[in-house]
Amino acid sequence: MANGSIIDITDAYKAFGRNIHALRGVDLQVDAGEVFGLLGPNGAGKSTLVKILMTVVRPDRLGGTMLGRSPGDKRALAKVGYLPEHHNFPSYLTGRQVIEFVAAMTGMRRQPRRRSADRLLKRVGMWDWADKRVKSYSKGMLQRIGLAQALVNTPELVLLDEPTDGVDPVGRQEIRDLLLGLRDEGMTVFINSHLLSELEMVCDRVAIMVKGRVAMQGTIDDLTADSRHYELRIHGSAPDWIDSLPDVSMQSDEHGTLLRINGREPDGIQTLIDRLRAEDRTILEIRPVRDSLEALFMRAVTEGGEGFAGPGAVVGDEGGRP
Amino acid sequence: MTQSIALFVDAYRLLNARRIFWFTLIITGLVVLCFALVGINDQGIRIVVWDIEIPGVNTRTGWTPEFFYKFIFNNLGIGIWLSWVATILGLVTTSGMFPEFISTGSIDLILSKPIGRFRLFITKYLSGLLFVVLQVCVFCVGSFVVIGLRGGVWLPGIFISIPLVVLFFSYLYAFSVFFGILTRSTIAALLLTILCWFVIFVVQSSENTLLFFVKYQEQKVAAYEENLERSRTQLAGVENPEDRERWDFMYKTIEVREERLEEARDSGSGVRIAHSILSGAMTVLPKTSQTLDLLERWTVDLADLPERDIDESPPVITEDGEFEANEAEIGLAVRDEVNSRSPLWIIGTSLLFELVLCLGAGVIFWRRDY
Repeated sequence: MANGSIIDITDAYKAFGRNIHALRGVDLQVDAGEVFGLLGPNGAGKSTLVKILMTVVRPDRLGGTMLGRSPGDKRALAKVGYLPEHHNFPSYLTGRQVIEFVAAMTGMRRQPRRRSADRLLKRVGMWDWADKRVKSYSKGMLQRIGLAQALVNTPELVLLDEPTDGVDPVGRQEIRDLLLGLRDEGMTVFINSHLLSELEMVCDRVAIMVKGRVAMQGTIDDLTADSRHYELRIHGSAPDWIDSLPDVSMQSDEHGTLLRINGREPDGIQTLIDRLRAEDRTILEIRPVRDSLEALFMRAVTEGGEGFAGPGAVVGDEGGRP
Repeated sequence: MTQSIALFVDAYRLLNARRIFWFTLIITGLVVLCFALVGINDQGIRIVVWDIEIPGVNTRTGWTPEFFYKFIFNNLGIGIWLSWVATILGLVTTSGMFPEFISTGSIDLILSKPIGRFRLFITKYLSGLLFVVLQVCVFCVGSFVVIGLRGGVWLPGIFISIPLVVLFFSYLYAFSVFFGILTRSTIAALLLTILCWFVIFVVQSSENTLLFFVKYQEQKVAAYEENLERSRTQLAGVENPEDRERWDFMYKTIEVREERLEEARDSGSGVRIAHSILSGAMTVLPKTSQTLDLLERWTVDLADLPERDIDESPPVITEDGEFEANEAEIGLAVRDEVNSRSPLWIIGTSLLFELVLCLGAGVIFWRRDY
């Protein structure tokens, strides 16, 4: 296990049949106590990877550890919570029964699992609906019960596949707060999601998968470091001497001129500001800019997956599984 | 242990949520109630307060109340209700258990828990038998109490039907689980199971029918042999038997008998081969009817059977050489042959088949990516 890594897997490989290569040697590290996001286009192999970690899919090759043990080790799984993407809780159970059943399947005894279920039902805001059958629940309510069952055994690691799927904006905010709360409690949260803006708000680190491989992995700050620059908007047209400055480009419109200054350090723009002010130019706006997670994602998909044709499975050596 | 209990509780909740389970249970209760409404006396059968005179079925002809209740329990309660109607309802109820269990979103959650796939499969398999266990337990306890109170006959022996009916159902349930896992479809699992049950039924019935013909041919061959022997003895006993002209009719009779015997042996050997093939198939297949027949074998003492007029006349070869069988004797020979099959063979070979089917289903379940 790498220092402080909850998940440290190497060379994860999985093929379905001869032609569909879902994972093609994935290396991934998730550190203890962080919120980790796994991104990727459809068919990138994200769900396959999560399912391999949860022993739902059997890998062709897999090295490394999860919670200090071989991936799939039952003792490690006892410390993991999991919310599958398309979960399908038995319609004949109540929300409370779903949580208690999952708790029992992790080996918890009756009294602790009852206490844990009660606590989580309150925490996810489902206390009033606890004894109603899940077939009467809305998608958002099912998602809340899904989160509660994933946390019932007080796991060290919780894997959430599309946790905000079908949840309204208020619910999403609550789930984000819950995830950050879990991190504050020392839990490691692994999220697989398509909602990049959601992930950007909660994730400490992300990995972007493309065509069965990890194309990028790190903190969002690190991954977007190269794209950092400043934008400075001035009134009117730009002075002629701007053209001679390296790392500065400009664009004019009816609101004035937008100058883009490459470089992540603020020192670099101080001289420019001084010269503009010396000419009595009006500076309308100065702001640091970096790529959004979405831009990073698009870059990873287009650069990391040469010839990526769009959503869906890419078959053969070139791609992953639907 | 906690996980296994949870799976059994979950199976109970699944049954509890299905109306067909309660419908079957209520009908089971009504069938038990019917036992309270019937009795036997020296005239015939009494239903509630009405006496129905039935010659041959009354206490004067040897039908003891004990035998009467065993008879209706075995033949109506188990033979028709539990082994046909309730079994079909049971298959309808349980055929969806595995397809639903392995559906996407459901199996993911279970497999992510610290329980081995094989143990999970076995526990889920056994929990599926809960339906029939509950039904047959309710039926037996109810029948025991009702027959005891109503007829004054306490029959603890009927509780042997609990394991027997569960065994019988488990043979079919194994098909349902196998096809359910293979196809992931409830409808396919149910239909294919019923198809297999039908095939087994046809094989069993055909084997029984052919056994009858085997015994028939044996009786025929024995009759011709005996008749031929008698003719030869007669011929040997006459004066100057080499005088063919004088005893020509006896030589001709012997000749015809020899031809008939040869024909009987030939057709007998054909029937025997056909029976052997079906018998071999039966050895492999689960023996549904024979398993339930053990109930009668174990609970009914043949000495307690009411007296019946049995034709004890031997089989006959008529003057023109035709064979007239004693079918009652053949029937007894068939019964003896069937009863000579040991319970160990009946249950053991059936369980072996179930085990192979379960192993197949278990391996598919174990190897599959979900």
